[in-house]
Formats: sequence, structure tokens, C-alpha cells
Amino acid sequence: MTAFSNIQRDGVDMVSKYRKAVNDKRRFILLSRGRKLETRSSSRAFLHKWEVGRLLACGFVGMGLLTTYHFQADHQSLIRALGTPLDWPEAKKNADHVRQWGIEQLLAIWKRAKGKERDALRWGDEIEYLVVAFEEERRKVRLSLRQADILKALAEDEALSKQGGCVPDLQTIKSTGDAIPVFHPEFGRFMLEATPGKPWGIGFKDLLDVEPNMKWRRIIAKEHMESNEYPITLTTFPRLGTRDDFIAPYYPPSGERLRSQFLPDEIANPHIRFPTLAANIRSRRGRKVEINVPIFKDENTPVPFIDPTVDYDMHKWPEDDDVRNGAAKDNHIYMDAMAFGMGSCCLQITFQAKNITEGRKLYDQLSPLGPIMLALTAATPIYKGFLADTDVRWNQISRAVDDRTPEELGEAPVKHDRWRVPKSRYASNSTYISQDPRLRKEYMDPDLVVDEDLKQQLMNGGMDALLATHFAHLFIRDPIVIFAEDLKELDLNKTDHFENLQSTNWQHLRFKPPPHDKDTGWRVEFRPMEIQITDFENAAFCIFIVLITRAILSFDLNFYIPIPLTTANMETAHARNAVLDQKFHFRNDPLPPRPMKANGTSGTTTPAYQPSRPPTPTGPVEDEHSLMTIDEIINGQSGEGFPGLIPLVESYLNSVNIDVETRCELARYLDLIRKRASGQLWTGAKWIRHFVHSHQDYKADSVVSEGINYDLIKAVEDITKNEGKNRMGEEMLRSGWVDMPRGSACGA
Amino acid sequence: MTKLILSTSNIMNGGPSIIRRPASEKSNVELINALRSNFLASMQAFAPATKGFSSSNGAERKTISQDVPYSEWTAREDGSLFVPSIDFAQSGLAEERSQYDITVKLFFLPHTSATERCRHSQEAIDLVLRELHMPSIDLLIVSFPGVSFDADDEDEEEPQWSQDGEGEDLSAMVETWQALENLHGKGTVKQIGLSEFGSERLEKFLPRTNVRPSVDQINVRDCCVVPKSLILYAKQEKIELLTHNDCTNILPSGTVRELLGNGDKGAGVLAGPEEGSKGLKGELEPQWVVKYTAVVRDRGVIENKGYFAMAEVGD
Repeated sequence: MTAFSNIQRDGVDMVSKYRKAVNDKRRFILLSRGRKLETRSSSRAFLHKWEVGRLLACGFVGMGLLTTYHFQADHQSLIRALGTPLDWPEAKKNADHVRQWGIEQLLAIWKRAKGKERDALRWGDEIEYLVVAFEEERRKVRLSLRQADILKALAEDEALSKQGGCVPDLQTIKSTGDAIPVFHPEFGRFMLEATPGKPWGIGFKDLLDVEPNMKWRRIIAKEHMESNEYPITLTTFPRLGTRDDFIAPYYPPSGERLRSQFLPDEIANPHIRFPTLAANIRSRRGRKVEINVPIFKDENTPVPFIDPTVDYDMHKWPEDDDVRNGAAKDNHIYMDAMAFGMGSCCLQITFQAKNITEGRKLYDQLSPLGPIMLALTAATPIYKGFLADTDVRWNQISRAVDDRTPEELGEAPVKHDRWRVPKSRYASNSTYISQDPRLRKEYMDPDLVVDEDLKQQLMNGGMDALLATHFAHLFIRDPIVIFAEDLKELDLNKTDHFENLQSTNWQHLRFKPPPHDKDTGWRVEFRPMEIQITDFENAAFCIFIVLITRAILSFDLNFYIPIPLTTANMETAHARNAVLDQKFHFRNDPLPPRPMKANGTSGTTTPAYQPSRPPTPTGPVEDEHSLMTIDEIINGQSGEGFPGLIPLVESYLNSVNIDVETRCELARYLDLIRKRASGQLWTGAKWIRHFVHSHQDYKADSVVSEGINYDLIKAVEDITKNEGKNRMGEEMLRSGWVDMPRGSACGA
Repeated sequence: MTKLILSTSNIMNGGPSIIRRPASEKSNVELINALRSNFLASMQAFAPATKGFSSSNGAERKTISQDVPYSEWTAREDGSLFVPSIDFAQSGLAEERSQYDITVKLFFLPHTSATERCRHSQEAIDLVLRELHMPSIDLLIVSFPGVSFDADDEDEEEPQWSQDGEGEDLSAMVETWQALENLHGKGTVKQIGLSEFGSERLEKFLPRTNVRPSVDQINVRDCCVVPKSLILYAKQEKIELLTHNDCTNILPSGTVRELLGNGDKGAGVLAGPEEGSKGLKGELEPQWVVKYTAVVRDRGVIENKGYFAMAEVGD
């Protein structure tokens, strides 16, 4: 007998299949050079639309996803088109103006799209890469700053030019099936982002295409790099910001825009928006951003640990005083620039909802899952050449874009600013937005800051208080990058001013109104997960989240807990090995109570298909949730406790028609999640720590030297390719293949 | 003799019965729990208003079934007793037909003849269509009792089933299949399928069909060890191999008796052994179970899922 798993295509076959596809078709084209822009629209308005979208997501991602293809235009033409960005004092003066127009645009979108119905589930993933360059002879690895060249090479692929040199029209792509992946620039000039060429559906065979498609993207990216360059999916480069030459080409630190003593301005995408964003965040804040990550204290780590890379004697910029004023904390790794955070790679997924109601429900229900998925995907144990005492990237990004003033931070009495603001623009969510009878007022964030005037304006325009509160909360922020030319005329058919605020609120979920094209509906973006080393893992986590959303909607699951508990969970998720060692607040019973039947004699006028609305729960909120381990949340508690996310997903899968091959593949993915949660498989963070600890050069002093880093990145590149089959990294991956999960047995 | 029509209503918003736990539990636990919980909810709806009920309290359940005579919450219609009574006006799907994939799985139970099964097929489908307010379904899968695919037995020379005393006679299956072909011919069912057929059984079965099965369902616990022979054969015959997680022995009569009896956990529909006990008397024989699932096609959301079961009671 041949086990079915044995005749599965294995990873190598998948790759060669797609490599062949690439060679055959030579049709991966990334648009650029403004060619498509000419055919589609030569107007500035179009460029702006694209640009605003590009700028503004977590690491600047995702706006266009599920909307249309992304277009990458030649830098020169963009800069010409973009106009003049305002420096901070000028931008600040126009903040109210942009907010006002943003609210008006939002109301226009909302009025137009609130009745949008019956949109299909479409979803997309975003994979972000670091581009590293090896120098074998000297055993060095550096970040490659050739993002622009690589994107250009992707766009200019010769075979492609021969084919006509332009993007195939959308029909061609649709008819050939495998749509060409799309590559995007990112904030860091050492980063790349790739998305599938068209959104995924819920057809279960679509789910099986995700992993090969991710592998295909990596192959295409690699093929457009130098032979010593590789796209790797680590969240951060372990030695970003050290004193050595960690970038190629090399630039000295301390530029005018970032004013970082560790990073050069050239680390960021040179596109005018990016340096302006970094500079204006710094200006608004009144000093450089301040990122202190607790050091992991090993046997030989100095006590107290005082970051030896900090230079207290620089006198080039006023901001060089920051460290002399105590910005660098004892026992912490200190970083001082936006690129330390926004240079991180994330794994993000965007879902299209059926309508606004479903979108609002998914937004709320996915929110409590955020910290759980952050801890479960932990992959960030090293910063600036030191082992940190945290496992995830989140807070570092949060601090890297924290533009709050001392007054807003609560360090000074509020005199000039409008209010104290408890969270950074990059932080966990602070609102629930679903008009759901299960949403109790006790769940809401008592510390929520809202611009009451804007909220009133939205409500005057017909928006309900719950959603108006959400947007009026996002709009407490200032727009950071404003172009003078955009302030002349308000266009209600555009969304640029709205997006300016919406997309610089980097919360762990984002509720996205439909853009102007007719095809796209209300969407929710799930943003907390860390990128994983292999495409197998990345596919597994994406698919798991997709299946969870289906289970939420099918079973009408209820994960509500008070928002402050999710905020607290987000902090908990940072702890070293939180996935196994920490407990998280989670709702005890996610299942709906059975609706009460009406007495048949009483008569009822309920429409036929409407299930009776679940009653608003009563009883103390404290009794609804308790502290659970990630294992309990994912795999379930025994007895009458929490059933577990994986069993819920299995229950869903058992109720729909799935072919055996798909089910078998899905079992591989779910098995990875299951075993990461139980500890049978390691997180990336644990594996990286273990690699460092067992390296012969490691001196038990928390230092990740250039040599260790070189071997680590080499190993990561190996794992990307072999996925543990040669035993490298098997602690993270391997046992997923050894014993296949068995479904529960039928009664004997 | 009375025909009992047991029903769960939509179990998707039916509370804890949707999740099986722990994993080792029998897989018919979903059906049993859903029936029990639907009975209880119906009794509560008809209970005297002064009573407070706690569904988690077993002692009170007994009180309910004693306090609420089954005649209150069940309904007679054309010689059938609906347990509980169903207001078909209250059910139905939210969207139009084209938005859904509707799959129905019909479990024939032991000791029923092919003739009876033909009638059962029509009855079961009629109930489902009535419940969902839909004119047709996409896929009807049938499960024959005692037919159980075992990956380890496949490829052996003598197929296990032919020697199995519980195994079903192929001719009877073919005769039953004709009833499904009729439903297909009328357009009530777009596709018909089988479950737990190995390649040998398929090979014998296929030549005797007019409408070929488009689906063969295999238990999920075997889905990663499906023999190559079956995969290849199914591919060649254009039969899609789907997974399921159902018991073949989904509703033993002892279980029904317990559900409907007047014991602690019973619904008080069947009379007890003692003199003067209220309720239906006589032998109880479950005939069939049908499971229906309506999935919103391009969103992968299960909107409605439930079961009907039919049992005969009497002399």
C-alpha cells in the first residue's frame, strides 16, 4: 500500500513546477517605468491614489491588495507628480484641514458603500523579505540596499519586454490561472514585499495554491537579484544598527532626515514620502524616537548592561543630546530611528467581508486573537547584535513611529496639545465596532480618546455612534505627510485625505472601507503576525486565520473580552517564550447559547430566515474570561473548558465538502499550529536563540557577533530551501511530517 | 405503528453541540447532543411560565419532561409524530438558491429493505427541502450500514466487506441507487454520491448504475493514507474523493430509546416499562438519518446544518 502522503508533490516539485511556469511563460511582469500609467491614467490623481496607498500600511502594505494591481512607477516621474511635501511645522498647521477633508471623504465612502452586499470572500497575504548579501570569503552578511535595482530588474525582465513590454491585460491574467505575483517597495531599502497576483478565494483548492505561490514569489525575487543576494523572511536583520558595515553599499550614519547615530538616511526608501515621514515623526515628537528593548541577561552579560554601541559624544544634530538626556536606558538595547521598527517584516492578511456588517463583526472577533497569534508566531529575539529578553517585534515598531509629544505622553502637563494619548499610532486596537448585541459596554476601552467634534460630524452625516467613535478615534492623530498641491481642492471621489489618517494608524486590525472601484468590498486586515522563515509556515498561518474567520462566521463565535485585556495580552506576548510560559486573558465560552424557542402558541412575526438574535449576555464580565495558555487557546481545555481554536476549525472542516488531498494538506498546516502551541515544535524565536546559544563563538554575553550572524543567516537561507528536511531547523518544522494527525475515531 | 420524525433544527447557532470534545468521543455525538438539546429547548418553550429552568441541571431536565407532556411540544401530521413540532415557516435560508452549496447525506440504517429505502430517500429529501425552503439540493450522498472503508484492507485479495455478516448485498444497493437516480432525473438532486466505497466495491458497482456517483466520501481519519489504487481509480472514473467524519452506525436503537424514553435524560415520548406509564409503546426501530448542510458558496460560511431522523415505534 502506498501512503497517500508519499505521492503528494513535495516542496521541491512544487518549486520546479513553478520555475517551469516562470520560464515557460515569462510573464511575471511588474509594471513600471510609467508605461502602464500612461495607458491607464496619466493623471496626477492616479499617481496620488497609488502613492497614498503605498505609503501607508505597516510597513506600508496592503492598500491596493484586493483592489487592483499595484503599479510601480519610475521614481522620477513619481517625484515629479507628487509635488512638495510639507515639513513638520507647516504640516501641523494644515492638520485640521486634512482631517476635515478626510472626514468628508469618509462620509462619502460610507454613504456610497454602506449598502454594498454579497461580496465574496476574497483574501490576500503579504510576504515581506529582507534582502541579504553574503560575502563568503570574509564570512560576512549584509543587508543589500538594492531594492530599487531589484524592482527595476523585475520590471524590465527581458523576456517580458520581448513579449510586448507591457503588462498583460487583466483578462489574459485571469484566463491563464496563475496570476503574476506583484512586488512592492517597502520602507526599508533592504526590503521587498510580494503579494499574490490576484486575491485568493475560499475554494479549498485555492488554499493549496497559497504555499506554492509563496515559493514562486521567492524564486522570482531571487532570480532578479545578484547571485550572492537572497530574499529571506526574518522579521529583522539581527545586526541592523551595529557599528560595522552591515549594509551594502555602505553609508555612514547620522543623516539629516533620521539623525540616527546608528543608521544612515540611505537605509530608508529614498522616495520623498519615506524620509518625510521619518523626519516629521521626529519633529512632531520633539526628539528622536526611542526604542529600548530589555537585554537578555546571560551568564556573562555585564550588570548593569549599558549598551556599548551608544555614542554619548556625538554633536552633529540637536537630537544627539537625546542619549545625554537619558534616552538610552540601562539594561536595554537602545535604538533611535523609524527604520528599526518599520524595517521589520510582517505577515499580514486582508479579508473581504460580505458586507459592512460582516466586516465589523470580523474586526471585533479577530481582535482578541491578535496577541495570541503574535506570541505563537514569535520570531524576533535579536536586536542590534544583542539577544533581547523579548521574542516579538511589535513594541519596537510601535516605538519607532511614536510621534507623541511629551504632553501627549503624559510627561508634561497638557498645555498646547489637545489631550493625553495612551497609545502610539502603531498599537493594539482600542475600539470594537460591531453592532452586535453580544458587545457589552463593559468591553469598551475606558481610556479611548475621541475627537468629539469629528464624531459628531460623522453622526450628523448619518453614521452610527459606534463606527463614528472608531474613526473619530483614528482621527485624533495628525497627518504626517502632506503635499502642498493636495490642499487646493477637495475631491469627494478620492480617498487620499481619509487614507492619510486611516493608514498611518497601524493597529493590529484595520477596518478598510471599499475603494472607489466597484469590485472591492469592506475589508479587514489582520496584522499582528510575525513573518516565518519558510513559506510552509507562512502559508500555514495564513490558512489557519482564513479558516478561523470561516469558523467565526459559521458558528457565530464570540471571542469578546474587554479591550484593556487585549492591550495587556499584547504586552504579555512580548515575554521571552510567552508561547509556552505565559497566560493570556481569553473568553471561556465562545459558543452561542441555544436561542430560546418561542412558545408556539404565542405567534411570531419573525421573518423566516432570521435566527433569533442572541440575547445580550448578563452576569459579571469577569466571569466570562480567564487566563489561559496558548496551548489551551489553540488546542482546547479539557472537559467543559474552552474548546480550542483548532478543534473549532476541525469542526468547521468536518461540515463542508473537502477532497482528501486538500484535507491532508490542511492537516499538515493545522498540525504545525497545534504543535507550535503545545511546544512540540519551536517558534522561530526559540530556534534562533538556540542557534546562538549553541554557536561556538557565543560567549554567553548576549552578543550576536558578525560570525554568529553570518552562520545564522546562512542557516536561515538553508531552512528556507530545505524546510528542515536536512535536519537544519527541524525543531521548528519537522515533526509536522512525521506523524500525521488522525481524526477522531468513529465509535468502535 | 407511529413514525417519529426527530429533528435538530439549525445546529449552527445551536450552542455547544457543534463541538465534539474530547476528541475520542464517538462522532455521532453531534447528532445525539443536537437532538437532545432541541428537545429540551422545545419543552422549555412549552413549560409552565412559573418554572425556572436550567439546562445544565440534569435533575431539572427530568422535571421538565415530567411536567411537560410530549403532546404539548410534538405534533402529529399524516400519521407521523414530529419530535419536536416544527414550524416550517420559521426555517429556511437567507439568500436565493444559487448562493448555496447544499449537501445532504442520507444514512440508511440496518434492517431496512431496498424497497423501504427508496421510499425513505424521497421522504428524507422532502423534509430537507421543506426545512430549507429550497427546490433542490446539489449533492446527495448515501451511506449504507456496515459499509466501512478501511485503508488497511484495500488492495487485499478478498475484499473485507463481502465476508462481513453486517455487510450489505450489492444488488440491494443497486436497487436503492435507482431511487437516487430518480431524484436526480427529476432535478431534485444535481449530483449523487456514495460513502466508504473502496475501489473493488466501486468497480463492481459502477457498471450497474445509470447515473454514476460523482463523489465517494472517505472518513477523514483515513484521508492521508488513502491507497493509491483508490486514488487512481477515482481519478480515472472522475469520482471526487471527499472527506467526512461520520459514524456509519449513527443512530442505534438503544440510543433513540434513551433519548425519547422517560428516564433521567429522556424526553418522555416513549412509555416506560412500569404499568400505566404514559407515552408511546412498542418496539422502536430507527429507519434513517439525514444530515443537511447549506454553505454559502463563495464565502465558505455554513449557514444551516441539521439532522432529521426517522424511527418507527409500535407493534
